[in-house]
Amino acid sequence: MAVSAATPSRQRRLRPSCRRDGAAHAPLIPPIRGLLPLALLLCVWELAGSERSPYFPRPSTWPAALGDLWTAGALLPAAGATISTFVLALGVAIVLGTLLGLLAGGVRTIDRALNPTLEFARAMPPAAVIPIATLLIGYNEQMKVAVVTSAAIWPILFNSRAALRRLDPVLIDTARSLHLTTLQRARKITFPALTPGIFLGVRIGGPIALVVTLLVEFLTQVDGIGGLIATAQRGYLSDQVWGLILVAGLFSLLVGGLIAALEACVLRHRPTA
Amino acid sequence: MRRLANLNWLGLLTMVGLLGLWQALVATGLLDYEYVPAPSEVAVAAGRLAAGGELAEATGHTLRVVLLGWLAAGTIGIALGLLLGLSSAAWRWSMASFEAIRAMPPICLVPVALLIFGFSIRMELTIIVYAAAWPVMINTIDGARSVRPELLQVARMLRLSRVETIRRIVLPAALPLAIVGLRLALSFALVLAIVAEVAGNPSGLGNAIVTAQQALRPDEMFTYVMAIGVLGVALNAAFGLLVRRAIPVLAGARERSAV
Repeated sequence: MAVSAATPSRQRRLRPSCRRDGAAHAPLIPPIRGLLPLALLLCVWELAGSERSPYFPRPSTWPAALGDLWTAGALLPAAGATISTFVLALGVAIVLGTLLGLLAGGVRTIDRALNPTLEFARAMPPAAVIPIATLLIGYNEQMKVAVVTSAAIWPILFNSRAALRRLDPVLIDTARSLHLTTLQRARKITFPALTPGIFLGVRIGGPIALVVTLLVEFLTQVDGIGGLIATAQRGYLSDQVWGLILVAGLFSLLVGGLIAALEACVLRHRPTA
Repeated sequence: MRRLANLNWLGLLTMVGLLGLWQALVATGLLDYEYVPAPSEVAVAAGRLAAGGELAEATGHTLRVVLLGWLAAGTIGIALGLLLGLSSAAWRWSMASFEAIRAMPPICLVPVALLIFGFSIRMELTIIVYAAAWPVMINTIDGARSVRPELLQVARMLRLSRVETIRRIVLPAALPLAIVGLRLALSFALVLAIVAEVAGNPSGLGNAIVTAQQALRPDEMFTYVMAIGVLGVALNAAFGLLVRRAIPVLAGARERSAV
């Protein structure tokens, strides 16, 4: 007990004697040397692989393949299309998800009425929604946004519902005893108290939105990075496929970083999120 | 009787009401999409497909692949998770690699698997196992690494051997999180199975949707989509039941950690 309450410097000093409890004091962020196996794998791949392997082309050929796409003028518009779908759909999911979540969290009857329908809709995999959406809306940007929204909305909806239910009754009493108007109460009490919960939903929903954006582009070949991957895969241009996968990975890191930064910025006034 | 009273009648009524609204909109021509079938047409198609055996065949394929892939993913995920969760050297020397690979959206493997295996069941299984192993592995690592220090001190006080400590303290402590991972993995497995089937594996519910869509049979398409929804809900419920039966202590832990 005393150890877990100790300051970092004391912990370090104490460590040799409690080595066997390793797990309790283990670092949370993995050290960078852990990248070694991945680097080794890529080296072996580079040395053992061939230029023209139909499946595993050398990693050094990937940037050149991306360069070809870039000079052909395909890469930039595709990245733009992917980003615009992602941003639009996540925006719609945040607004709709928060509204529905607050409605369900605030009014018990609405929650009970909607719950089975929502649970069923949530169980629907995006890949099953895509054929319906293409049939109803067509192969276009609106279809992409609709599909991505329908996948990313759930964590935002459920987390904002939970946040409203968890709202500390003392806060509401405080607002009442201060005689705040409804608008003031929403702005000063309710909304700030709910933001961490809503952001938790966005943190889960953001990566889902990106994955589903890539998925819907891949399956329907509507323009975007996913569409380029599908075209490259159908043409057996494996170096392009791997290069584009790398781009998708960079997007996903970027999205994670941006959401974390946004969260830190919005929640900067509170000590613990 | 009590079970009947506990049922969410209001919610079921809403569902039925929405279906009725949908039927009314199509019947009166207010919802004038060419490709929106009325629920009654979907029901007729479902009856036809169920009687003809197509529905059972497609569902059977998807269910088999999902369970097979889930079992493989669970085994791999728990094995790797225990290795990295128990050995801090293994964790230090490889966790960053796993995190880097995990940052890739899992569907990025779909084109690669398609390149290598073509339109086959091996492609589908590869994708399922890859995507579903991650949550099991990550949760098992977290579970094994977050054993409370007091428990380890107890183990030392009782002079348990390393193996005994793992068996009696670390594994039970890691179990709840590993089970959360397995639950996530089950729904990932279904999602990715449908992706693989829509993307090209020529069997299962996902492929049936695409075939119905291309044949311009929206009534059959909606039937298969509904079947996927029912399968998802049923798998989740079956898993919950299994966990409650097998490990009753954990029944409460489920709600606590589900995100």
